[in-house]
Amino acid sequence: MTNINKIQSILIGIIMIITAVTMIIYPKDSYVFIILFLSLGLFFSSIKTLIYYFTMAKYMVGGKISLYKGVLLFNFAFLTGSFTDVPRAYILLYLAMMHAFAGIIEILRAREVKKYNTLNWIINFVHGVISITIALCCIIFIRKTNTAVIIYSVGLIYSALNYIAAGLKKSTLVYIQ
Amino acid sequence: MQEDFHYYATYCAAFLSGYSHEESMDICYSAQFVDLCSKTLLTKLGAPKSAATTQLQLEMMETKTDLIGLQDITRIWASFHFLPKDLYAQKKKRSMRYMQKYRLICGPNGELVDETVKLAKGTTLQHVGIAMHVLADTWAHMYFAGTPSLVINNTDRDFFELILQDGKTIEKRIHFRHKPTSPDDPDKELFTNTLYQGSENSVMNLGHGRAGHFPDYSFARYRYFPAWAEYAEVTKDNPKDYMSAFLQMIAAMKYLRGVTDSFEKDYTDTEVLEKYGDRIRAILEKRQLNACEDWKAFGEELSGNAIAPFDIERYQREYISTPKSAKKDTYIGKFIEGAMAQKSMVTSQIYKSGNLLAGFSHFKPKDNA
Repeated sequence: MTNINKIQSILIGIIMIITAVTMIIYPKDSYVFIILFLSLGLFFSSIKTLIYYFTMAKYMVGGKISLYKGVLLFNFAFLTGSFTDVPRAYILLYLAMMHAFAGIIEILRAREVKKYNTLNWIINFVHGVISITIALCCIIFIRKTNTAVIIYSVGLIYSALNYIAAGLKKSTLVYIQ
Repeated sequence: MQEDFHYYATYCAAFLSGYSHEESMDICYSAQFVDLCSKTLLTKLGAPKSAATTQLQLEMMETKTDLIGLQDITRIWASFHFLPKDLYAQKKKRSMRYMQKYRLICGPNGELVDETVKLAKGTTLQHVGIAMHVLADTWAHMYFAGTPSLVINNTDRDFFELILQDGKTIEKRIHFRHKPTSPDDPDKELFTNTLYQGSENSVMNLGHGRAGHFPDYSFARYRYFPAWAEYAEVTKDNPKDYMSAFLQMIAAMKYLRGVTDSFEKDYTDTEVLEKYGDRIRAILEKRQLNACEDWKAFGEELSGNAIAPFDIERYQREYISTPKSAKKDTYIGKFIEGAMAQKSMVTSQIYKSGNLLAGFSHFKPKDNA
């Protein structure tokens, strides 16, 4: 990681923690934060994908897939942003599904890593289990929206700590003489 | 390319260029060792990790593909396995980021091949072996780049093997799958490749990973659409290219031994071709995943000596038990010195071309005059 990447990673972690704490303090109004957070995330991701298409993938055989991905993410960003009138339970269900999906992916990756006889699979497995647990808790407590928001916030803090840890991790630059 | 070419065929080329059996053994061992000298092995030996000439799958899985991680990967793979053909290639209306990747596409007869061979002149047999590995791979790995890149290295499903049968060429679609535990099956056209990853810098998009080991088989003739070629089809003829690699190795080693004054990339040793051309062609064309036995038999016929199988442990004890001050005189010590010189030269040339993808190196060119 370059120093800029490290600072970026730590800043993202800090912003996520601030958001999570705010959500825990104001659980009733917090869904607006969640929506804003997700919508912005999808929006920036779509812009990044579209820039990638126009500067790189445009010249690649089969590169149009990046254009479709960018347009789709762009639409999802606005769709997510328009969820303001939707009952909170639906939003939490949507978030829980996203967590569950991420968890399944992590567990599948852990299975793949395990095939190479390395202990690194445990990290992926733990990430996966935590994500799925958060998703399940959100679904179980979906009627108690305040509780579900707190559970989601805890998940957010967990992700934030991962970002900060990645930013603080020592990385060396090797120069060949 | 695999052990059959880097070890046994390199032995044959070294012997045909005039090296003795013992010298040829040292050269081919070093050429094959390039595919095994990872950071993990160097850590075990207590040797500098920056001398790594390859990366294990697990090492790559752990490498982050941020700028520093990318530089680490590119330094290794571009220096030893995917030597760039033209660092100053031009293409209109492309972004700088695209061109940095595009210019790392590997191919034979580039200026860096000259530099690689000249760098080995007057050095050790280990360094000669490294140079032969790099040179040979430029023929096998052409059209792929030694840096993770979706826009350069990706392949699509229109990938066909061309098989000569009864004087006719028939085409068979190659089916790539991600099953690392299953061996490739040429009869069913089933080959393992890396998973499709939409991320530009994913390690899955390194080199010919998306085409699996297929480009490494000497019998392979195929046509496909390289991701970078704007839907222009490319036909690759490995038996012909591997023959060119073999003959070029002989030309390079004759130069390194001082038999010829210069390294002529297009020089064809007609004597070798007349005497052994058919035999070599038969080995290259045979549809088999591993041609070690055939090359070994040919090499033993040439020299009249037995060629010991490659053993990764062979020189490790010598290196570990030698005092630090004398390590550079051991077999692995000399290999490390050659590897560092090659990596430094390529990294420096890439950096000088304005490309930051391999990082930066203080390389001092030597005077061969």
